[in-house]
Amino acid sequence: MKITNKVLFVVFLTGLSIYLVFALNPEGAPRILLNLFTFAGIYGLSAIGLNVHFGWTGLLNFGHASFMGVGAYVTLLLMPHAAGREGEITSTGLPFIVALIIGILSAALFGLLLGLPAIRLRGDYLAIVTIAAAEIFRLLVRDLESITGGVYGIINYTENLQKYRPNFINSLSESSGFSPSQAWVCLVAWISILITVLFLKRLNSSPWGRALRAVREDEDAVRALGKNAVWLKLQSFMLGAGIAGLSGVLLAFNYGSLETTVFVPLLTFYVWAIMILGGVGTITGPIFGSIIFWVIISETDRLAFLLFENANGQQLAGVRFLLVGLLIMILMIFRPSGLLGKKEELLLDVK
Amino acid sequence: MSNNLIEVKNLKKTFGGLTAVDIENLTFNENELTSIIGPNGAGKTTFFDLISGFQNSDNGDIYLNDKDISNFQPYKIARMGMVRTFQLTKVFDRMTVLENLLFSGSEISNESLFKSIIKSKSQKNYEEHLRDKARDIMDELNILHMEDSYARELSGGQKKLLELARSIINEPEILLLDEPLAGVNPKLAEDILSLIKKLSNKGITILMVEHNIEAVMKISDRIVVLAEGSLIADGNPNDIRTDTNVIEAYLGKDND
Repeated sequence: MKITNKVLFVVFLTGLSIYLVFALNPEGAPRILLNLFTFAGIYGLSAIGLNVHFGWTGLLNFGHASFMGVGAYVTLLLMPHAAGREGEITSTGLPFIVALIIGILSAALFGLLLGLPAIRLRGDYLAIVTIAAAEIFRLLVRDLESITGGVYGIINYTENLQKYRPNFINSLSESSGFSPSQAWVCLVAWISILITVLFLKRLNSSPWGRALRAVREDEDAVRALGKNAVWLKLQSFMLGAGIAGLSGVLLAFNYGSLETTVFVPLLTFYVWAIMILGGVGTITGPIFGSIIFWVIISETDRLAFLLFENANGQQLAGVRFLLVGLLIMILMIFRPSGLLGKKEELLLDVK
Repeated sequence: MSNNLIEVKNLKKTFGGLTAVDIENLTFNENELTSIIGPNGAGKTTFFDLISGFQNSDNGDIYLNDKDISNFQPYKIARMGMVRTFQLTKVFDRMTVLENLLFSGSEISNESLFKSIIKSKSQKNYEEHLRDKARDIMDELNILHMEDSYARELSGGQKKLLELARSIINEPEILLLDEPLAGVNPKLAEDILSLIKKLSNKGITILMVEHNIEAVMKISDRIVVLAEGSLIADGNPNDIRTDTNVIEAYLGKDND
């Protein structure tokens, strides 16, 4: 990434939002920051996956939550866990890394299965189908109680990851009052982001990445030039879904217990908001978008408290989304390509 | 193998009650530059769509090199050596001119996900070779100075050039040009016309839909006239000029 004014501005804005956390929380700021950065990392990772779909290939995917869900459920169910109303214990299972890889591949496979019938649809039609598919997935998981634990969810699985926690995190946590398990999830999330970003940087400038962008620009021209646009879109769908699957697993480990309500459409909309904030079509944009988004989400309560003295919790929750919406509107007016997006490649104009 | 590169039999396409294309028998010969003309709504573009696979016919067969390609996927037909352009220019707007050409010139295998992850030396060499090839073509078409501009920054005429460059980078056997001169200034039209002639001399079989009759008369080896979906005349430019059916189709029934 070249150091331009744009990058400096984004770094400044991100720094400012982190400063805001300190300013608004005289006590306990580090702990709030850790929580915030964990969520920001996980959602940012998911938004990076969504960017492969929308930013690179132009696929309007509104079922991102289901890809995260498939990754999370497959991974957790393959490891020792307890599920359902009675908390039925499964004491044997695969080691974390093996289960994780199968989980990611399952998410990619789900992307392929959903893509096969749906990917020929253009624009908003694909959006409708994906949002419906994501809801079907969520309701299926809820109703297949004997396998997935249904509404009672899955518990007692965090040890699968936490047993690999390095010692320095324990000592760091003791001195700073962090939760060691969350610090470990946070670290894993940001390592995952780093690996994913490096991986995608490699692909972005490659002939494969170029072909995806051509599909985004004009599918008919791609086909007229002898390229199989459907297969390119399917590959993109699988890659993005795999990245979402990984972020879903991390989300599950951050929560400590997994329920179907995690994967409601709202999750998809959050990820979309993060991607738009950060810059559609960029690789690192969603990371900054995610941090800023989560500062707003977690700090608006206190901000609103300063503005409206007698507000209650419910009213504050409304103010939170009002501010997120306002920020996106301001951004769209003054910087329609997002924080890091290129003006020449303004991508938020779906045909 | 016969001399008939493309052969169309009983081709029919209707939209509701409207017959867009209804052609009993039509063949195109190797190495010929054939223009397809006709009044608006004659079914010229639909005919292109049918033989390039962008629309499925209701009835009939299309043969390419004696192989039945009816209802093939467009990309498969393109891979067999028949490449088309569009009436409304379709360039990859938010990619650079160079990228437009690199994408078009690249082999399918070069674009595999696996190869792009590995980034092998052979891929790098291939890309290098592709870049040289793209630069040669850009140079030939006078758009080399625009190579790093986004395609959407090009003028209408330059976009036509880019689309043409994109279609010929892989040296297709057959080129279908849908109104290559539409909306292009006279000077550039002249250039494009001589380029088409040059491609034809190189041995590429060209089918062209064009409204500029003067230009069509000048460069075509053969002219096919469609009206209301049917074939009404077929012959060399001199025959067509005096054909009463054609004059009637253009002047008698249709006043534009």
